[in-house]
Amino acid sequence: MEIRPILSALMRSKVSLVLIGLQIALTLAIVCNSLFIISERAALMQRPSGINEADTFTVSSIGFGEGFDDARTFAEDLAMMRSLPGVVDATTINAIPMSNGGWSEGLSLTQEQKTSTAPTAIYFVDDHGLNTLGAQLIAGRDFRPDEVSERNRTTQGWPAGVIMSRALGEKLWPGQAALGKQVYLDTEKPPVTIIGVVDRLQSPWPHSKRLAEFSILVPQQLVGDGRMRYLVRTAPGQRDALMKQIEAKLGEINHSRIVREARSIERIRGEGYSQDRAMMIILTIVIAALLIITALGIVGMASFWVTQRTKQIGTRRALGATRGMILRYFLTENFVITTLGLAIGAAMAYGFNVWLIQNYEAARLPWYYVPAGCVALWILGQLAVLGPARRASRVPPAMATRSV
Amino acid sequence: MFGYYLTLGLRSLRRHSVLTALMVFGIALGIAASMTSLTVFYLMGSDPIPWKSDRLHVVQLDNWDINEGFDPNPDILPDALTYLDATALMAASKADKQAAMYKVVLPVQPDNPEVKPFLSLARATGSDFFGLFDTPFKYGSGWDKSVDEQHGRVTVLTQPINEKLFGGADSTGKRVKFDGIEYTVVGVLDTWRPRVKYYDVSNGALNEPEEAFIPFTTAIELQMGSAGNNNCFKNSEPGWEGYLRSDCIWIQFWAQLDTPAKLADYKAFLDAYIGEQKKLGRFERPLRSKLPNVTQWLEEQKVVSSDVEIQVGLSFAFLLVCLVNTVGLLLAKFMRKSGEIGLRRALGASRGQLFLQHLVEAGVVGVTGGLVGLLLTWLGLLGVRALYSEFKAVAQLDWVMVATTLVLSIVAAMLAGLFPTWRACRVQPAAQLKTQ
Amino acid sequence: MLKMNHLSKVYRTHLIETHALRDFSIHVREGEFVAVTGPSGSGKTTFLNIAGLLEEFTGGEFLLDGIDVRGMNDDARSRLRNEKIGFIFQGFNLIPDLNLFDNVDVPLRYRGFNAAERKRRIEESLARVGLSARVKHFPSELSGGQQQRVAIARALAGSPKILLADEPTGNLDTQMARGVMQLLEDLHAEGATIIMVTHDPELAARAQRNVHVIDGQVVDIQSEPRMRGLGVVQSAVAVG
Repeated sequence: MEIRPILSALMRSKVSLVLIGLQIALTLAIVCNSLFIISERAALMQRPSGINEADTFTVSSIGFGEGFDDARTFAEDLAMMRSLPGVVDATTINAIPMSNGGWSEGLSLTQEQKTSTAPTAIYFVDDHGLNTLGAQLIAGRDFRPDEVSERNRTTQGWPAGVIMSRALGEKLWPGQAALGKQVYLDTEKPPVTIIGVVDRLQSPWPHSKRLAEFSILVPQQLVGDGRMRYLVRTAPGQRDALMKQIEAKLGEINHSRIVREARSIERIRGEGYSQDRAMMIILTIVIAALLIITALGIVGMASFWVTQRTKQIGTRRALGATRGMILRYFLTENFVITTLGLAIGAAMAYGFNVWLIQNYEAARLPWYYVPAGCVALWILGQLAVLGPARRASRVPPAMATRSV
Repeated sequence: MFGYYLTLGLRSLRRHSVLTALMVFGIALGIAASMTSLTVFYLMGSDPIPWKSDRLHVVQLDNWDINEGFDPNPDILPDALTYLDATALMAASKADKQAAMYKVVLPVQPDNPEVKPFLSLARATGSDFFGLFDTPFKYGSGWDKSVDEQHGRVTVLTQPINEKLFGGADSTGKRVKFDGIEYTVVGVLDTWRPRVKYYDVSNGALNEPEEAFIPFTTAIELQMGSAGNNNCFKNSEPGWEGYLRSDCIWIQFWAQLDTPAKLADYKAFLDAYIGEQKKLGRFERPLRSKLPNVTQWLEEQKVVSSDVEIQVGLSFAFLLVCLVNTVGLLLAKFMRKSGEIGLRRALGASRGQLFLQHLVEAGVVGVTGGLVGLLLTWLGLLGVRALYSEFKAVAQLDWVMVATTLVLSIVAAMLAGLFPTWRACRVQPAAQLKTQ
Repeated sequence: MLKMNHLSKVYRTHLIETHALRDFSIHVREGEFVAVTGPSGSGKTTFLNIAGLLEEFTGGEFLLDGIDVRGMNDDARSRLRNEKIGFIFQGFNLIPDLNLFDNVDVPLRYRGFNAAERKRRIEESLARVGLSARVKHFPSELSGGQQQRVAIARALAGSPKILLADEPTGNLDTQMARGVMQLLEDLHAEGATIIMVTHDPELAARAQRNVHVIDGQVVDIQSEPRMRGLGVVQSAVAVG
């Protein structure tokens, strides 16, 4: 409507303009960057692990005392678990995706190279591993029972055949099929051959950019330290019941051990990403509080302006302004102030983003965040000023002739 | 006069109760957000042992791969020692106090058949540990050097496990069975809970401390592997002995050096040691060693996570918004009173008096905002503890922070009140009276 | 031009009923300069507010430029006000944050004239009151008399049928009051219809015709002795 006179009138009360503008600017900058962080964390959390998470759980135990027989306990435990009705499959495993604890190695393409080509997470499983994990084999074959060996403190080198995640294969041999290729887990020992490729298998470290989906499955059982960890997959809906049942039964099979850490993979995922979830919640609260404060600030300032300009509004009405025109005047005024604030806020939003990039390896803010934030704040501003503006439109024109 | 200003301020605030509530709420929210994040930041980053943190040093030696440093950042050296180096430094015993240590998992088998065996985290360390970190003893004491030498089967328990095994009674002299082997209790620690587990940050700086302590030499003899991080850059020879001879790092080593001269001497000793080892074909990288003290160590190990730092930054930006908001509202309020101000000027009030009157009013907003903010901070920390289970010890209301909150909020409100007050007091008495 | 017949205005609160105007009749013809006088609280301002369509009335009839305004909705009244009436207030009521040009522009904006038309009218009316040189100034930079001239320019800019002046010199010193009064008289001489509310008999005497209001009723009509302009002596009805 009448932007120029509104603007020139605003320029006469610079302080209020600066205050509200600054508030809107900071709000835009914080909201855009917070939303971006939230969306990045959400994207991180939404990455599929490549395994069946809904029906799986892990349980571990630690044996004590002399004469604890790891291999026999493994065999007994696995036989017990696999025979339980409702259990789809069970495997020995050394680490769980997203659990923040595991084994990693460097991979080399040649025996001569001094530094490794890529790092990888190592999952030691038996011939039931692939099935229990529910990882999708896209090339090659699963392990055969006769390929599964024991690994203890004195074991050197690696088994002949391993299964690799697709992402790792692409890193090692870009554009080529990984199946049948050889790679060194230990440059002093013979290489391992890729006998199978799984579509996706996340490493145990959800926040590691280097290792994200670089994983290798090795057909070995870790023995000799009395520690055992299993992964169990059940029929849908039976996980929690079986988790309790198996935890109890493991204790019965062998008394000289402590059974612990029976946890579903869903819980491990929750714990693995708990700091991201916390960050998302905190940022959401910050955004909400910020929008509330800013909206209340606009309401407060606009109310003050309406009170201060009651006489002026009456005069405008006397000079022929309709109620709608007065309402629009305040809405337009708010739009002008918000726009000025947003212009500065856009610059601040990018500045804030640059600071995050420089100090925290953050990514660049996608272009559409700032325009989207602007639209949101325009709407917020208009809604916030609506109340005071309606009050202004109800100022009677006779106010103009009132002497005080 | 102050009393009069206070009465005036309170009356004025009560008359515009919605505006006042808005201002108080604004300040309180801003203060609460910044104080919640700042408390976590402060407690995480603050010195956990201020009385001797500058005398406690971590030993770092660069024994890593000649082809590839321990970290892409060349200034970051390996964060632990090999068994070879840790035992060599223990044997040399050049520091005022020194201890090698690592984390172990112990199956505990209580005598009482009612109590089921359970797992306990323990620390295998030397006799100096307790003196190094000034651990408080409830019963008994640590063990002495001779026990280290003899691989003695002794242990120091903490309160929680002593509670579980002995009902909290003085258990010194009693026996406990860890993993099939009996240990004699020589001491029980009183509550000892450093906010940050600074002596072993690489295995979860915010994790619970260990429940029991056993001699390092005993743990090695019993071939207890580390329950913490273990980093190798090349293969070890087979077996436990091979592992002990390897270049794998898994042992934390702390030295107490009471004077700068001793620190310099120790540094020289370390460099000489590395020189000796180089002759044996180890330490192929350029000769580097470091002795960061506690605070330097916490900083280098990034104990304060980047999320927490971002939260602090964000919450201060948020506080700024709240302050700007309050400045705007106070300005609106004081400007609305310009008639009254003009009148008071006409009645003989000086600018200074009016300034003080309005500053008191802003101060009242600040104090109230601070108190409400404190309450919200307490709620905020409750929320943080719920969100980050490992932040239990660092998301606590701390008296330094309580004081900071109140001061910050009053200063913030005064700052917010300063400009509007200045504006209000510039009102010309005549100008105001005429147009009203 | 302006005709009120048996008009009444009652203010009601839940406690009391105040009759601000009672059986109020007045007829102002085109080109007349009428002064409405009366003591404080007599109903002068209520009359002015109703005449200027700022307030509604309770009973009776009111024709403005031949248009029956009874029962008109708020928007229609605003439009009518904007087109037919030019207001001159005691306190000038200029918008302090706008310069003279923008102040005069306010009613023209509401009328919806295009930019060129507005500019022409603003410059013309500011020239008419002798303030062309100050278009970029703000009200606070002017004297009271100058401010009231701007208000008159604003009132004139929309070519209203009738000018309503509410104590136009009430906030001015004698010197300035004289100038403003002279300007009103000149406008009248040029053919403007003016109704001026005042409590100052001396000012009232300079109008063509005086209407005296007491307790919400017209009690007395004094024809102006000196004939001015095209004004015609009009006898109004006083009903007791």
